[in-house]
Order: sequence, then C-alpha cells, then structure tokens
Amino acid sequence: MKRALIVGGGSGGTILANSLDRHEFEITMLSSSFGHLFQPALLYVAFSHARARVVRDERSLLARHVNLLHDEVTSINLKKKTVTTRNGVLFPYDYLVVATGMHTDTSQIPGLSEINAEFGDYHSSLAKAERLSYHLDGFRGGTIAIGQSSPIIKCPPSPLEGVLLTDQLLRKRGLRKSSRLVYFTPYPRPYSAEPMNEVVEPLLEERDIEVMTFFDVKRIDPINRTIFSIEGDKIEYDLPIIIPPFVGANILYEPADAVDEDHFIIADKSTLRIKGTGDAFVVGDASNLPTSKAGVGAHLQAKVVAKILSGHPATFDGRTSCPFDTGDGRGTFVIGSYEAPVTKARPTRIKHLMKTAFQRIYWISLRGTLNPAFDVYFKLTAPKKAAATGN
Amino acid sequence: MNQTSGRTLVDSRGSSCPGPITDLAIAYRRSKVGDVIELWATDPGVKADVNAWATKTSNQIVSIDETGEKITVIIRITKR
Ligand SMILES: Cc1cc2nc3c(=O)[nH]c(=O)nc-3n(C[C@H](O)[C@H](O)[C@H](O)COP(=O)(O)OP(=O)(O)OC[C@H]3O[C@@H](n4cnc5c(N)ncnc54)[C@H](O)[C@@H]3O)c2cc1C
Repeated sequence: MKRALIVGGGSGGTILANSLDRHEFEITMLSSSFGHLFQPALLYVAFSHARARVVRDERSLLARHVNLLHDEVTSINLKKKTVTTRNGVLFPYDYLVVATGMHTDTSQIPGLSEINAEFGDYHSSLAKAERLSYHLDGFRGGTIAIGQSSPIIKCPPSPLEGVLLTDQLLRKRGLRKSSRLVYFTPYPRPYSAEPMNEVVEPLLEERDIEVMTFFDVKRIDPINRTIFSIEGDKIEYDLPIIIPPFVGANILYEPADAVDEDHFIIADKSTLRIKGTGDAFVVGDASNLPTSKAGVGAHLQAKVVAKILSGHPATFDGRTSCPFDTGDGRGTFVIGSYEAPVTKARPTRIKHLMKTAFQRIYWISLRGTLNPAFDVYFKLTAPKKAAATGN
Repeated sequence: MNQTSGRTLVDSRGSSCPGPITDLAIAYRRSKVGDVIELWATDPGVKADVNAWATKTSNQIVSIDETGEKITVIIRITKR
C-alpha cells in the first residue's frame, strides 16, 4: 500500500481523498479545521441573510476509509518526504497532495485590520460575513465603497457580485436614491477580462454604480473614513466593504523556493507537481497557477491528481467555470482555460438557477459520485481555444 | 516573479488576460521608485492595458518589443 498524505480538508482535499482507490492507497488527511465551509454562501450570508447550513463536519464528508487527523501542518520537507505538524508529529509519505487553500491577510494594508475587525467582509469567514450583514442592515444612506484590495482573489466575479447585490439590497429597502455606490478595482476595467467586461460595464452604468479603475489600495484611514490608492486616488466612505489580500498557508517548505513571496506553491501548470518533485502535488487555491482561484478548479485538479497517482496520464487544462450572480435573479458564468480566454456570456435566469442548484448539490459533489454528470457539463460548456486574441 | 537589485522580471507568458496586468499590479505593489519591471507576455491585449496603466499611474514605459509571440515591456517606476 502506498501512503497518500493530503494536507487540507476543503474542496480540493476532500474530493481527492474520496477519489483515491482504498485498495491502492492508505489515505491520511491532515486538516487544521473541523468544519468545512461552503464559501460561495458567504456572499448570501452577507448580502441576503442566507441561513442555510453552510458548514458541515469535515469527517462527515469523507469516505470511511480516509484517516482524518485534525492538526496544523507547520513544515513540509519535499526532499526527505516528510510533513511535521503543530503537535510535533512527523508523517512520512509516498505521495503528498497539498490542498491548503488561501486565507485573507489584513496586515498587508495599513488600517485594514481595524476596519475589517469592525465591518467584516465576505471572503474570510462566516463570522466576518455575519458582521458585514449586520452593518448593511444598519446602513441608512451614504457612500458604500466596495472592492478588492489586491489582484489575487477567490472567485474573480465575487467583488462585482458584491456590488450588484448591494445595489439590489438598497433598492429593496428604498435606500438607493440616498446612497452612492463606488466600486474600486486594481484593473483597467470593472471586470478584469475584456469580453466579460462588455457584459458587466453596461450593467453598472444602468444601476448607477460608480467605478474607479486602477485603484490599488495603499492604506485606509479609519478615522477620516478614507481609502487611498497607490495610484494617488482616494474614496471617502460611510460603509467600507473591502476584500482583503490573500496569502497561502504559513507552512515552512524545504526547499524554500517551492513557494513564492505570498506562500503560493509553485507547480507545473499541467501535471500539478510541486516544483522539483515527482511525488508531491498541489490542488486548489494553494498554488500559484495562472488560473482563477475557484472551487471548480480545485475539483478538476483533484481529479487530475487522483488519475496521475493511480498511474494514468492526465493533465489540467486551466479550466474554470465561475458562476456570476448579477442580481435581480439573473446570473452568468465566466468560462475559460489556459488556451481559451474568457468569453462573453449574457446573464440569464436559467444560469442563476444553475448557481442556486449547485449550492444544493455541493455536498454530494464532494463525494465524487456526481463526477459523470460534471464531465458532461464541462464537455458541453467547453470554451473554444483561440489562436491569438486580444484578451 | 524574480527580483535582482531593483530589477524585477515578471513572466506572464502563456497566461491570457487578465494574467499579465494582474502580475504587473502585484509587482508594482512591491516596487520602489527607481525600480525597473520587465514584463514578458504572449497575450497581445497586454500592450493596451500596460499603456493605460502607465498613463494612470504616471510611470514610464521604456520600451515595448515584440519578437515572435513574445512581448517584452520594460517599465521604470517613477511614481509610487
Ligand atoms: C465569497 C466567495 C464566493 C465564491 N464563489 C465560488 C463559486 O461560485 N464557484 C467556485 O467554484 N468557487 C467559489 N469560491 C471559491 C472556492 O470556495 C474556493 O476556491 C475553494 O474552496 C478552494 O478549495 P481548496 O481546497 O483549495 O481550499 P479550501 O476549501 O479553502 O480548503 C483549505 C483547507 O486547508 C486547511 N488548511 C489550511 N492550512 C492548513 C495547515 N497549515 N495544515 C492543515 N490544514 C490546513 C483548511 O483548514 C481547509 O480545510 C468562492 C469563495 C468565496 C470566498
């Protein structure tokens, strides 16, 4: 039996653990959390009081033969093929898969920790999303400034989903006329990829949402309620909804150059092997692959690694398919891959229903039993490769 | 990203929009006045984005070269 060690009990780690053959592998998962949070629901917790069951026990989502241990990994020696935990336990492995995701880091921007502690956000945790919901409830008019404070983001449409759902919420409560909505982004346009921007920009205009492009947050002055950008602009706010910068897990790697400055793991973008190794892999948000950080990617990457570990050739093509709630019961999908740039896709009610339906089947999808249905979906929605396009 | 004494190489080849401008924004965040950023890309959209970025941020594009598929943009950070 080969020892497969999986670090991280989120989307990628869980699907991988459930996909490996128990007759071939002795599977151990190390996870620093007990609860598995369905992260896309944070959007609805913050902006529409969603109270569905968004956290489940990690053990309940794993096949019985997976050995789950709750401990935080502090170092990984890729040369000696060992992993060490906070409790001082050393785990040797034959195969390693790192699926530690990424987390928010408010310390990177002066002033952000203070305002984040007060107002919360919808990318860090359930508690923070509830805090933001509380402040939105108490909002009685003024300026809401909303945006991402760094280019690395979980689910690229999520900042725009936030501003569109805020607009919807304010309209519902009769506060839209007495409010200013300012959306800021480090990109040259509201949605980073041009084809999708063509869909989004008219929506923002129609809903009277002001946009500040090339706005890279430098510091926040909580006393004077002002956000300053590196580019020299500023926004004064009454309610700030700022998505903090993200970093990879704080794990010490040997060799140290297996991770970049923000602790994202450097890996081969097709085989997902960690740089310089043959038996260590990364799946999900933890890597620095040039693709979107999304559960869909984590899912597809876990399937690729499961195949490779079982001796079958497989590669990841960078495929993403991020649902995008544009408000008022409509939605679209951002679909692309390494070879096929994101295409333009209009919001419809059906696509919104698909996003809602996915929330219901998410927990089952972690079991891997729905893989044949997903295979069909991904085939039907496969993006077309482009030889050379503008964006 | 590879940094050697004030010169940063940002290799965004093979990543399509918004890859290169994301990588440039990250490099800009870490830069100081006087630094030089060399951006490699294969996505042709990078030229328009980098020009708009330089105008907005008042930084200087030293050169934009195209050899085959590879686009090399040299940027000098003059404002932070
Ligand atoms: C608001 C929002 C909306 C989103 N919407 C979508 C969407 O619509 N579609 C979509 O596909 N994706 C969406 N996502 C993104 C998606 O949730 C993530 O990309 C996905 O969960 C990543 O999976 P992962 O396995 O890489 O990491 P995670 O699911 O974050 O899991 C990481 C795991 O690693 C563990 N861990 C971390 N450090 C250590 C350590 N040192 N030792 C041991 N264990 C450790 C954690 O405890 C956790 O169990 C959204 C995210 C947010 C915040």
